[in-house]
Amino acid sequence: MSLALYYFLAITAIYILMSWGLYLPYRVAHLHFLTVANMLISGYLAGFLVQNLGFSFWIALILGFAAGGILGYLISLFIGDAPTFTVVIVGFTFIYVSRTVVENLKAVGGTMGMFGLPTVAGTPSTHRTVLLILLYVLVVVVGFLIYRFEHSRLGRAASAVFVDKDLATSLGVDIKRMGRLVQTFSSLIAGGCGVLYGFIYRSYHLDFFTFHLVGIFMTVIFVGGYATMWGTVIAAPALYGLTLILPTEVASWRIVIYGAILIAVLVLKPEGFITRRLAYRVENALTRKRKRHITDPKGD
Amino acid sequence: MSKKLMALLAALLLVASFAMAAGEKEAAPAAAGVVVDQWEIPFLNSLTGAIASIGEYLQWGAERAAFEINQAGGIAGKPVKVIGVDTALEPQLGVVEMGKIVNWALVALGPVPEPVIMAAAPIAVENEMMTMTATTSLEYAERFFPWSISWFPATADRLPPLATEWAKMAGVKRVVQFVGVYGPWPGMAAAHVDGLKAAGAAHVGDVEFNVDAVTFGPLVVRALDMKPDGIILACWPDKAAKIVQELKNRGWTDMNKILLFSSADDAALYTTGGAALNGTIIYNYINVDTDRPRWIAFKEAYSRDHNGLQPPSLSTNYYDAVYMIKRAIEETGVTGDPRKLKEERKAIAAYMFNMKNFEGLLFNWDMSNGIPTNKPTYLFEIQDGRKKLVKEIRP
Repeated sequence: MSLALYYFLAITAIYILMSWGLYLPYRVAHLHFLTVANMLISGYLAGFLVQNLGFSFWIALILGFAAGGILGYLISLFIGDAPTFTVVIVGFTFIYVSRTVVENLKAVGGTMGMFGLPTVAGTPSTHRTVLLILLYVLVVVVGFLIYRFEHSRLGRAASAVFVDKDLATSLGVDIKRMGRLVQTFSSLIAGGCGVLYGFIYRSYHLDFFTFHLVGIFMTVIFVGGYATMWGTVIAAPALYGLTLILPTEVASWRIVIYGAILIAVLVLKPEGFITRRLAYRVENALTRKRKRHITDPKGD
Repeated sequence: MSKKLMALLAALLLVASFAMAAGEKEAAPAAAGVVVDQWEIPFLNSLTGAIASIGEYLQWGAERAAFEINQAGGIAGKPVKVIGVDTALEPQLGVVEMGKIVNWALVALGPVPEPVIMAAAPIAVENEMMTMTATTSLEYAERFFPWSISWFPATADRLPPLATEWAKMAGVKRVVQFVGVYGPWPGMAAAHVDGLKAAGAAHVGDVEFNVDAVTFGPLVVRALDMKPDGIILACWPDKAAKIVQELKNRGWTDMNKILLFSSADDAALYTTGGAALNGTIIYNYINVDTDRPRWIAFKEAYSRDHNGLQPPSLSTNYYDAVYMIKRAIEETGVTGDPRKLKEERKAIAAYMFNMKNFEGLLFNWDMSNGIPTNKPTYLFEIQDGRKKLVKEIRP
């Protein structure tokens, strides 16, 4: 596999996972930007453990997930049922705070960053293969969990919370518990993504984790479709790939192109390209086909 | 009639053949074995995004060199083209683009700036291709040796003499630094402190801030509260200008007791600071008043293309980098044959790592194991948006 394709696939997987990390809390009307801070904290933690203390990558990865989950849970105790705006402010604040802490920590390179992280397995080529497999296994596992969530009572309860919190409460939905659950899960995913993101580059720099990432993930969600998980799967590779396949002269206009796409989608298709109705229609069609196949495997 | 026509045709053919022969003489002969029709040098640059203005003049410098080289017959007789590849300050674009470049390029310019360098340069290292990170400090570039070279000597070697010289000249005894928390800048601020100590001046404190800072009144009050008689500004150009304005508003009059570091020497400093900067001292690595003919032509061309502005200090880096590549290709007999890509990359990198007496745009220098050994530095006084040389410091 070419290096360009590897990086495209690896970073697309990170975009999908991180966009799901924002999508899930958005199901209960939370814009949970804390996930970018989770990426940063877990990433630097893993880098420090591996490079300075000699931990294996796998242990550092598990601890990265754990750090994300624990931080997400602790903060969700306070903002699990907070209004959207409060959750946004908390997220931004944590990005600032965590960046400032890292800037002042010499042990993780401060403003210079961390260089030369070891490979996760043998040669650089094996390193890439292992990371890519790991990333897409994660995409499948996380995607499966979100799919199950959406088709469960919890998913329907989340939809009720999104429409009207008071109504959802009157129907017996514990909105704080629901908020805690989705926030903790998204922080957990983000923690792992932070570790993997740094090991893709084999380095960490504070500017890997800027507000720019929030912009990318939000664009992916809103262009792809914020009402279903499938929009992200389509939009992440399409938006990232678009900038890479355009000729150089046109590519430098990509911010304008992104902006135009976003405006067009918001005006013409406010729910995004993949709407919930479209997703259900496709799912139903696939289910009918499967049922037909089970009742009449020969197709007679 | 027909005889006359034949004679005319013969005469025309003769003239045409002489003209063609003369034309062939003008083009430099291709060196033996060169197989490319054109040398292509990719430049991983930030042409859009937050530092697009810097990316523009870096690109301009590289393309200016290519233009001059082509005018003079090219590299080993073949024209050269610098291909701008925009990474927009985004590591995620930088890695994919570098992933493409390592498939075919002999050598690359960039990446720019540090976050993209950290993400993309390891790919060049893994593929044993020289990537010329000519805007960053040695502390970043050396991580990728021998597949990169540093444009600057170690921060701890080059900056203390500048701070010492300024402190002695301005007669400062108590100095406060404004430090932008970004990349190598805190390290540069620490090197200033070493220079102050050598001059017998006390460093009474730092005022740190990051890129999001927009108002500087409170920061300036905090700095003045330490009762300094000298100020060093190690931060973004526009913010440095605003700090100088705030200092003046609060009664600061000894303008030559303010020292600005090299990374502040950018158009935004002068457009934001205006006359408030008059009398302040700035250090940098190029002397805009040098009278080398190449530099004068460069300066005029830059000024023509940039509404009369002077070339910023970094504008010459990739200009020189392209000339270094030219010399390396010609001296090592590189052919551009894709089958020899690996060995020719090695030859170019090894040559550049220890290139001697390179004739740069502004001065000549030597490389020793990837580090320039004898580049001068300068102290200038700013007057009406222009820099006036105060002192040249040679290692």
